Amino acid sequence: MMGIGAGLLVQLVVALMAVIVAVVVPALWRARLGGPLCVLVSAAGCVTGVLAMSGELGGLVVPLALPVDALQFSPDRLGGLFMVVVSGVGVLVSLYGMGSVRGPGASRTSWAALPVFLVGMQLVSASADTLSFLLAWEVMTLASTVLLLANHSNRATVASATIWYSVMSQLSFFFILAGFAVLAAVSGSTGFAAMATVPPGSWEASVAFVLLILGFAGKAELVPLHVWVPKMLPEAPSHVAAAMSGAMVKIGVYGALVVCVRLLPGGPPWWGVLVMILGGVSALYGILQASVSSNLKVLLAYSTTENMGLAFLGVGASMLLRSYAAVPAADAALLASLLLVVSHAAFKTTLFLGAGAVDHATGEMDLDRLGGLGRRLPLTAATFGVASLGAAALPITSGFVAEWMLLQALIHGSRIEGNVVSVAASVAMPMAVAVVALTAGLALLTFVKGYGIAFLARPRSAAASSAQEVPPAMHVSLVAGALSVVVLGLLPGPLAAVIASCVGPDIVPHVRSVGLAGVELPGIGVLLDPVTFLLLTVLVAVPVMVAVVVSARRHRPRRSALPWGGGGSRARPRMQYTATSYAEPLVRVFDDVLKPSRDVQVTHVGESRYLVERVEVEQRVSDVFESRLYRPVLNVAQRFGVLARQAQNGSIHRYLGYSFIAFLTVLIVVSF
Amino acid sequence: MVETVYPQLIGLFAGGLLLTSVLMVWRHSLLASIRLLATQGIILAALVATIGMHEGEAELLVVSGLVLVVKGVALPWVLARQSRATTHMADESPRLNPTAALLAVALLTILSYAVSSRLAGLNASIPAHAAPIGLAMVLVGFLLLVTRRRARSQLVGFLLLDNGIATIAFLTSGGVPLLLELGVSLDVLLVVLILYAFAGRMSNKFGNTDIDQLRELHD
Repeated sequence: MMGIGAGLLVQLVVALMAVIVAVVVPALWRARLGGPLCVLVSAAGCVTGVLAMSGELGGLVVPLALPVDALQFSPDRLGGLFMVVVSGVGVLVSLYGMGSVRGPGASRTSWAALPVFLVGMQLVSASADTLSFLLAWEVMTLASTVLLLANHSNRATVASATIWYSVMSQLSFFFILAGFAVLAAVSGSTGFAAMATVPPGSWEASVAFVLLILGFAGKAELVPLHVWVPKMLPEAPSHVAAAMSGAMVKIGVYGALVVCVRLLPGGPPWWGVLVMILGGVSALYGILQASVSSNLKVLLAYSTTENMGLAFLGVGASMLLRSYAAVPAADAALLASLLLVVSHAAFKTTLFLGAGAVDHATGEMDLDRLGGLGRRLPLTAATFGVASLGAAALPITSGFVAEWMLLQALIHGSRIEGNVVSVAASVAMPMAVAVVALTAGLALLTFVKGYGIAFLARPRSAAASSAQEVPPAMHVSLVAGALSVVVLGLLPGPLAAVIASCVGPDIVPHVRSVGLAGVELPGIGVLLDPVTFLLLTVLVAVPVMVAVVVSARRHRPRRSALPWGGGGSRARPRMQYTATSYAEPLVRVFDDVLKPSRDVQVTHVGESRYLVERVEVEQRVSDVFESRLYRPVLNVAQRFGVLARQAQNGSIHRYLGYSFIAFLTVLIVVSF
Repeated sequence: MVETVYPQLIGLFAGGLLLTSVLMVWRHSLLASIRLLATQGIILAALVATIGMHEGEAELLVVSGLVLVVKGVALPWVLARQSRATTHMADESPRLNPTAALLAVALLTILSYAVSSRLAGLNASIPAHAAPIGLAMVLVGFLLLVTRRRARSQLVGFLLLDNGIATIAFLTSGGVPLLLELGVSLDVLLVVLILYAFAGRMSNKFGNTDIDQLRELHD
């Protein structure tokens, strides 16, 4: 009873201390004192979350002087799960921040905003009523905005990116506020428990559902509210980007789950279809953009859109299947999205921190100018590689388990014991399978590109060739992140069982841990045992490898020169694949969706028309949603602005005239 | 005899206030406006003194003295001194021609009578009957603010508005407490001084005080 309340209190107090330390302590000691306090905040969050997951009740009630209900922070099991996820990311990020942050990112403001951001995220998942939820949500959003602004003085693009971020997050906040307002009006209370009594069949519930899902989709970086992501994350300090992409987007998913599982379970089938469409489109669009992006952080940012899209796809599929009473498959889909969320937190945090290490070492985020970092930053390369495996959903990582389970749920979803569930499900499920399959393929391509171009081959710029391994303080969180990716992937059974126990109380997915921490879903009759699989693979692979090595020793290696090496034994760095050229076929295939703009400039030698001195090719892939959806809206707003300028033209006489007319009007209205 | 003179005096002074206001709209010369303002201040002081003597309140007599000093002497003196210092005493070219302006004043006066009779809780005392004049002064002051181009002429409008408010206060409730009156008077004096310094800077900088030219909006 006391544990959770005490845990929350400790978080708040330590966060307050961290803020005070950040403000008071001089720059030299700020990271050394503030960092551990941030770690402590997150650790307290972890412990509280675990307590909540284990089913403890209780929490913190903060009475207010305002004439509203008291703020209630008492996480349920699901909230506890997200608290653990968010705090786990928080620990890694704080550790990394201690070691890495220099310059404007280590300012007083940034170190003060980080604990506020962390505690804000934890409080969102601990909230048990609308008011505290929205309050913590705003704290989280504002603190993240402050953190993002860290580099505003030395990069001009930060300000406009922050405006995009603020506007988009306020837009999603507006949606959420409106949705909760509808629910509160119908149920007559702001508590989640009372809101859950709203009948999901009513039209008010549908309105609230659409509003809330849109709002949470905005925070989870889903299309079409994702436009801030590719602008913002590359501008943010790396540990902040990791925290946002690893933790904050999960809060968006958490919100959606609260709506779908807690507040309005059992809605009509079209809700599920809506969420599936939202998720599917986001997954495809996100991974397409990621696969053609040549900026490492933009690539990672878009890949987050993809992963969260898949998570929403799973949630939507689960809702659709549940409305047709295909319970085992529905549970599996829900479980898969939760697994995806957990694994994404692990690998995306590691990837962003790894990208931060690359940035730290080279100051370069353009993949076309990186390369050869594997030999120069061995540990960073190894951890980034492991996390890339996770992001590409390859075996022995957590990403694989999650996508495997999602596919199983979707494949088995359209039929129960051989009978077709419904027309909608039998159309939606195969399409969802296709989306997941295409996404998985493109994700593989994307991360082969991301890892291969950045870390393999030879350096493409001076900055990359002179890179030095980053300080050991940063390695700690990188290694911890990579380890968590592998461990979560190797032990899916216990993990799935724990997560399944968190979904309750109404829904308890049937899942069993079998074999060596393998996972079995008895409802749809599938089984995965990665450790056994790994042992078998090793048993087969070791003799083969031994044979290969032995035979390689017998025959001398043959040297082959590249045909375009001009007879030379080694190709020059410029002859290598770049990120852009690697993605070129993909851009051609998806030309209609991506609509890239190409610019080819040919410079001739002197007057000659035939001798070419230089050819410059520039290709830009812009965000279709920004140019087709937001620009027109902005243009209309601008036109209204011009009109408003006429009424508001700066003439004092006009303003006086307005107040005179207003005064006269009031007089006349009052007297008649 | 006193009982018959009192309403007549109140009517006379109220009429004087309205007359000076109308003349202020009519005359375009800044100096003339300032003289009218001084006259108005003196009339207002006389009005307050009359009410004070009738009610037998010594405090109102003190207030009357204060009004005389501030509104009748100090403010017009400040305005006139600055205005004489500036050589180009070009006449105001208002945004409304005199005929239309006088018509507007007539309409505003009618409006204020129409409105005051309906407006809540005017008591039936003799001064309260004259209260619409105060409202009319407020409206006319506002009209001056809107229609005059130069900063100093606008200041005259502002002071007329302030006089109107004071008139309403004296006529309906026998004035505000002395301390409050003192504060308000000092405030107005301060505002006028600041605005005058501002107008002076403006004419130094741009050569005139036409505030139509101040329309560049800044972020």
